[in-house]
Amino acid sequence: MDIMWDLGRREREEGVKMSAPMPFWRAAGMTYITYSNICANLVRNCLKEPHKAEALNREKVHFAISTWKDGKAEKPVIRSDLAED
Amino acid sequence: MVDVVIVPATRGQLGVLPGHVATIAELKPGIMSVHDGNGVTKYFVSSGFAFVHANSFADIIAVEAVPLDRIDASLVQKGLAEFTQKVNSASTDLEKAEAQIGVDVQSALNSP
Repeated sequence: MDIMWDLGRREREEGVKMSAPMPFWRAAGMTYITYSNICANLVRNCLKEPHKAEALNREKVHFAISTWKDGKAEKPVIRSDLAED
Repeated sequence: MVDVVIVPATRGQLGVLPGHVATIAELKPGIMSVHDGNGVTKYFVSSGFAFVHANSFADIIAVEAVPLDRIDASLVQKGLAEFTQKVNSASTDLEKAEAQIGVDVQSALNSP
């Protein structure tokens, strides 16, 4: 059972490549999450209504971000796609 | 329990039947189909993972998974033309990667 899971041994001793080549998006400096979100956005933009509007609604974000300086939080900045009330 | 689930893994189509060995597969944008006694149900998955467990349960994780009839073919064609053009005009590596992702996803959407 140990031999089955020691993929490192197969690479070292038998010269078998156990890993896949790096995807083009990672080679360009993109992370998987960014890649996956871009794919999802492309799919959403190709949907028929009303599914398209519902799906694009899922991309909306609303959050507060505050930078810390000298151990204290500065005033938070709110980033939002929702309508201002 | 269904008969088989075929998912678009990055290494190729993966057919999962009951009793399949536990597997984790990264998915590429494409069509997954679920076959059971009533026929086939197809979904387009934007990307994600398929987790096959040892007890014959499989989880498909995707940010977007849509039934095929929700896809607008004319929007797909427009997107494909737009990104094919962007791949050629892109300058930075990042722009090229984004345009290439566009071409990959739009081509996959165009396939059914």
